[in-house]
Amino acid sequence: MNWSLFFDLTVSGLTLGSLYALIALGYSMVYGILKLLNFAHGDVYMIGAFIGWFALHGLGGPISPDVGAWIVTVLMFLAAMVGCGVLGVVIERFAYRPLRNAPRIAPLISALGVSFFLQNSALLLFGAAFRDYDSFDLIGSRTRHVGQVYYATPQILTVCGAIALMVVLTLIVARTTVGKAMRATSFDREAAAMMGIDVDRVISVTFFLGSALAGAAGVMFGLVFGQIYHYMGFIAGLKGFTAAVIGGIGSIPGAMLGGLVVGLLESYATGYLPQGSTFQNLYVFAVLIAVILVRPSGLLGRAAIQKV
Amino acid sequence: MKKVFLALLAAVLAFAAAGTGGASTQSPKAAGSALITCGKTRTIGLLAPITGPAASIGGLQVKWVDFYVSRYNRTHKTKFAVVKEDTQLGGPNGNAEALKGAQALKGNGKVLGVVGPAGSNEVKGTTSTLKGGGLGFISGSATNTTLTTDGTRTGYFFRTVPPDAQQSKSVSRFIVNNLKFKRVYIIDDQEAYSTGLSDEVEAQLKAAGVTTTRDGVSQQQSDFSALIAKIPRDTQLVYIPWQLAPKAQAFGQQMRQAGKSSIRLMGSDGLFAPEFESLSGVYASFFPVQPTDGTIKAYSQAHGGDTDFFGAPSYVAAQVIGGAIDRACKDGKATRAEVRKQIAKTNIKKTLLGLPVRFTKGGDIRGGVFGIYQSKNGKFARIA
Amino acid sequence: MVDLPSPADRPDEPRVGTDEWVASHGERTARRTGVTGFIARVWDRLPPFGRLAVFVVPTAFLPFLMSEENLTRYALYTLFYALMGLGLNVVVGYAGLLDLGYIAFVGFGAYGYGILASPQFGNHFQAELAIPAVAIATAVLGLLVGLPSRRLVGDYLAIVTLFFGQAFVVFVNNANRIDFPHFGHVDLTGGANGLSDIYPPNFFGYEINSTRRYFYFVLAAFALVLTALYFANESRTGRAWRALREDPLAAETMTVPVNRLKLLAFAFGAGLAGFTGAIYGSFQTGAFPGDYDVGLLITIYAVVILGGTGSLAGVALGAIIINCAPELLRSEHNASLLFYGVILLTILGKVRPWRVLGVFLGGLVAFGFAVHAIADAAWPRLTAAHAHSTGFLKGPIEDWVLLPRHPVKIADYGYVILIAAILLVTRLDGWRRLVALVPTVYLGAFVWENLLITQTAGATRLILLGALLVALMNARPQGLLGTARVEIV
Repeated sequence: MNWSLFFDLTVSGLTLGSLYALIALGYSMVYGILKLLNFAHGDVYMIGAFIGWFALHGLGGPISPDVGAWIVTVLMFLAAMVGCGVLGVVIERFAYRPLRNAPRIAPLISALGVSFFLQNSALLLFGAAFRDYDSFDLIGSRTRHVGQVYYATPQILTVCGAIALMVVLTLIVARTTVGKAMRATSFDREAAAMMGIDVDRVISVTFFLGSALAGAAGVMFGLVFGQIYHYMGFIAGLKGFTAAVIGGIGSIPGAMLGGLVVGLLESYATGYLPQGSTFQNLYVFAVLIAVILVRPSGLLGRAAIQKV
Repeated sequence: MKKVFLALLAAVLAFAAAGTGGASTQSPKAAGSALITCGKTRTIGLLAPITGPAASIGGLQVKWVDFYVSRYNRTHKTKFAVVKEDTQLGGPNGNAEALKGAQALKGNGKVLGVVGPAGSNEVKGTTSTLKGGGLGFISGSATNTTLTTDGTRTGYFFRTVPPDAQQSKSVSRFIVNNLKFKRVYIIDDQEAYSTGLSDEVEAQLKAAGVTTTRDGVSQQQSDFSALIAKIPRDTQLVYIPWQLAPKAQAFGQQMRQAGKSSIRLMGSDGLFAPEFESLSGVYASFFPVQPTDGTIKAYSQAHGGDTDFFGAPSYVAAQVIGGAIDRACKDGKATRAEVRKQIAKTNIKKTLLGLPVRFTKGGDIRGGVFGIYQSKNGKFARIA
Repeated sequence: MVDLPSPADRPDEPRVGTDEWVASHGERTARRTGVTGFIARVWDRLPPFGRLAVFVVPTAFLPFLMSEENLTRYALYTLFYALMGLGLNVVVGYAGLLDLGYIAFVGFGAYGYGILASPQFGNHFQAELAIPAVAIATAVLGLLVGLPSRRLVGDYLAIVTLFFGQAFVVFVNNANRIDFPHFGHVDLTGGANGLSDIYPPNFFGYEINSTRRYFYFVLAAFALVLTALYFANESRTGRAWRALREDPLAAETMTVPVNRLKLLAFAFGAGLAGFTGAIYGSFQTGAFPGDYDVGLLITIYAVVILGGTGSLAGVALGAIIINCAPELLRSEHNASLLFYGVILLTILGKVRPWRVLGVFLGGLVAFGFAVHAIADAAWPRLTAAHAHSTGFLKGPIEDWVLLPRHPVKIADYGYVILIAAILLVTRLDGWRRLVALVPTVYLGAFVWENLLITQTAGATRLILLGALLVALMNARPQGLLGTARVEIV
């Protein structure tokens, strides 16, 4: 067994998986409460990456930032998370809320409209050229290693950051009043409303949290992979959706697990299978189908209770 | 009220549709031979991926064509106008968008010749439309060898880039004779341009006794770390003939991150751009351009110091069409057929590609050669 | 779970499906007055073939009104999208299955036809053989894909079919490198280069080789499929499908063979997709891997849902909007007319009474001239440039809208402010909305003239398409011609 290849693939898979997990969380939380597939989520993530870039350049750029590099990084995350959170709330308020009583499939098209709108607004305002985060200049590119495990600073930042965000999210959902309201609403929206929970507010909070996570993922993407562009949300959205379904859509721990599973699978498929990166999606999907055949409601999803 | 609004909306759509319907009513057979009064402003069509995943390269082609037109218009009494149509290369509806754009140009009675489309499959998909409209079209980036050899578009299609066959020969000769490398890893980006070139280079290297490994990665992907982990450390060269230079830059940066910067990286003409150039030591194949050429300097000045060469062949394509239109318009009138004939007769002694431009019967540049460049201190310098 | 009434939206109307709603159904129908009401009533009374004729007969005259290019761009592609939408409508609209691999069946049809009639293998089968063969093969493939999904419910069917769609694209993109067992190396799909030069269909020696012939051929196919679907919809199976969509559990209790019906719908939709794909591929003269990816799937879903899931006329209307709106916006001149036309008509249609409308329009015009005059006097640079709009619009616009010499930065900020302003206006009501609307409309014109119009070939038309989709779905959540359904789960 070639351990160094295995570790390389694992680090790469964990990094990618953390990003997928953060995106999948947004999908899953919204789905849990609204039964809505928010196809514009990937584009919120793209906007997050751009907000991070503008924050970076507003603070003096990657080579000579006005304040310390780590403070800049934190501020980039904050700006992207708050910006995307607000964007998510606005999208929900204007594109989805009026459709709340419509057939379940209708908001899909509204979401598609939002996606077109965001993607091409970004093209209009920011241009078609890719933008570079230059994270090497900002937080260093040196590859470090522990034993045979090699990693770069942005990778460890992504994995740790994602874990921290997920812990915070879990705490919010488990410990706070709003979190309790969220759980109640996702369990039974009508009963929750009868118990005096302001369902509209809970939904807004859900969108804020989900979109903020996507924003953070956008900045992480920029730091790890360097290049951001207007079309990057499309493929990320698809992957996030897959991860959410595989983990059990609607389940928060499921989304985290699903993201990591998809990331690691992609990585191992690329590394170990013949023509791995060409057929990567096929290999990953094949495993997913196998999982679904055994557990139709996803890894950690609850089997839906049929009420009559 | 909502219904009234919807009805009104439908009425506007119908009205506008009728408006466009009346805009041009030439019969199809006459399309190529219809006389167009040249007037003071002559019109060139442009098919490029202005939106969609390949918008970054489409944007460059638009910039270079606009640059040609603005330069020309400043120094000439007659003016050119450009009608741009979006093809969304690699975008949602596939070739359908390119086809619709080509139809729009075909139906625009003012358009005399077309620059584009960008992709080889787009060329194949739009051929019957543009041919049906009698339009000559010159691509600045479609390199698939069969486009000029299968005979379906002779006399209509031309290109200002040499075909894959030419490029692959220069590349493999360089790898075998100059670098004398024995272990090469080839990764395509799953698009027609890249797989075609990879196939040819792979075959030629194998014939010369080089050990090659082949892989592919989707153009949409940004994470290459797993793929890089898989590349054996004793590999001497990774060949990535991709279309999007920023993705190649990300690939190079991730190689560095993975501690594999000792492995050389080589790209194709698609990567001859500042993003890839910024990686020190990488190779790329491109035309023998002269960075000291006046046009290139002027472009760089007009665009804040940018020197993105990817769109340069589209500049030459516009130059060829511009010249052909001028010659066809000598008598004040021109037909698309006349412009086509003039394109075939093109003879430009010196272009910014570093080559004279004359076309073969199939539509290729005569004697098109490729130079091999290496990036030194963030600037490409010719080494072969 | 029963959906909650949202208090913000029309509090005076009962929610769809409640007893009050059912009780007031007659009133609502009677309330439809005016021109649209009249049309709706006439439409309701038309026999099915009359409805078909209303659509097909005027369409049949299009080739005499339009140039060949516009016929392709507007009419032919609309028909193609509508045909694809009809097949998807069976799967999604009738049977209620979320099929995300639908486009792969269209692609299978196109590639299948390409293999039977292109230089790739030197085959040239007659279309009367090839097209039905391809359609049947696709239906069988649909049956095979549908089989394992029988166990899966709801969104998990979506992921299986999404996998199938992805697998199809990856397969056709790489099939030239695969060595098949028994056959050895066969370049089945041309790989990334696709299949090109697919022959036009040839029916008993009659070749469909011009745009007009294609148009009538596709129109005939459309009418045929529409008729077939109408009968299918009215049949036992059709009623069972709808029962399945409304409530699978209840349907099963009523001894409807749920699984068999699902499979049937899936295979039927796939067969239609294959049929359309074969014609579509031959019209495009080629089949390329990227053509049959998620993007086209989303387009066709938009067609079906926008028109109203389950409604046949809705599919046609959805296809018209989804295809024609972005095509109209391709030219600057059209785009300008459309932009100002829609704004003006919206104002004319929505602002009442007439007195207020007059004051509003007067105020709007005066506001513009005032701003222009002030800017002209104070900062002449703000009015220095020329308008992009041509024709009769050019003059008035140069006197009314600010046209700065270097508009790039200002217009970018204007765009962002404009979006915020539009969202704000939708939240205001009464006279406040009208007052706020004046500067918003003016800002809209400013951003249009200085930013959006320069990008009509690119981003602008897709931005407007996106905004249109959101606005239309907001205005009619059930789809344009869909009926509001009672949703009890």
